[in-house]
Amino acid sequence: MAKELPGYGTIDVPKDRVVPFGAVTPAPVCQQDLFQTSNWRIVRPVKDDEKCTRCLICYLSCPDACWVYKEEEDVMEWVNNFCKGCQICIQECPSGALTAAPELDFPDGVVRLNKPF
Amino acid sequence: MAKVHEITVWARGVIMDKEGRDVINIFAQAAQMEGKFAQAFDNYEDLPDRVLVTVRKYVRLSDEAIEHKYVYTNDHPEVVVVIEPTIVKGIDILRGMEKGGTLIINTNRSIEEMLKFIPNANLLGTVATVDADAITGVRTVDFSGSEGGGDTSGIGKGIASPMAGAIAKVTGLIKKENLAKIVSDVSGMERGYNEVKIKKLG
Repeated sequence: MAKELPGYGTIDVPKDRVVPFGAVTPAPVCQQDLFQTSNWRIVRPVKDDEKCTRCLICYLSCPDACWVYKEEEDVMEWVNNFCKGCQICIQECPSGALTAAPELDFPDGVVRLNKPF
Repeated sequence: MAKVHEITVWARGVIMDKEGRDVINIFAQAAQMEGKFAQAFDNYEDLPDRVLVTVRKYVRLSDEAIEHKYVYTNDHPEVVVVIEPTIVKGIDILRGMEKGGTLIINTNRSIEEMLKFIPNANLLGTVATVDADAITGVRTVDFSGSEGGGDTSGIGKGIASPMAGAIAKVTGLIKKENLAKIVSDVSGMERGYNEVKIKKLG
């Protein structure tokens, strides 16, 4: 579907991405692989599945949607290549299931880039 | 044209931006006091106003006037300084380095442990670590001195002084006596100079 934008010409919106005005979409629907931000991290959140109550407050509070609820396995999944280590989820977790661990304690989990971003 | 020594400093945006810039300014001023030609500048493309983003700071030293026209990155760094150790994990900090370069990291971890995170460590001739966070006790002094701000706390108040001392000892490009005239934390600089751990690689 071609859409007129004043001053910008037209853009082609794929049919499955077209939404009505005011729609609420489950976001994000895809990952921006050109902007990996895992190397911003000094510490990473480590979860304790025993303490986690699946209240989804980490999912709500994460600015970058780095906590995903896996319904089949009933666990929270951490998206390591976009987490910036802001520690908001650790502050907000009501059951204390998340702790901050230094990134250098882990051998991997960071996307290695040639330039800062 | 005389050889130009290129030094690249890696820091993190906002929280260590001032510290990173202090390192390059101290270094360039000390070199100028010895009659060398020096340039010190931030990377133009980086985002120093975003928290935790890696940012680059550059120094160039030479015995003659530096004739790098319009080039505002150090494409072949001889010395790489890492102000925050996690940076080695996420970025190819040695990009463009010729064989036999020097790497100086601010960390309390061992040199062997840090080398595990650097796949192209065979480029290095010397690796050094200094625990500047422990020497000064703080990592971030203040946020002044960023773009458009005034520098109220003095140059080299935080981890920049021990880092500058460590660089002076490892590279031998500048003298400790000249550093002491510039930095506001002279004892921190002395401790960085004395406590840096150096390892020569084959």
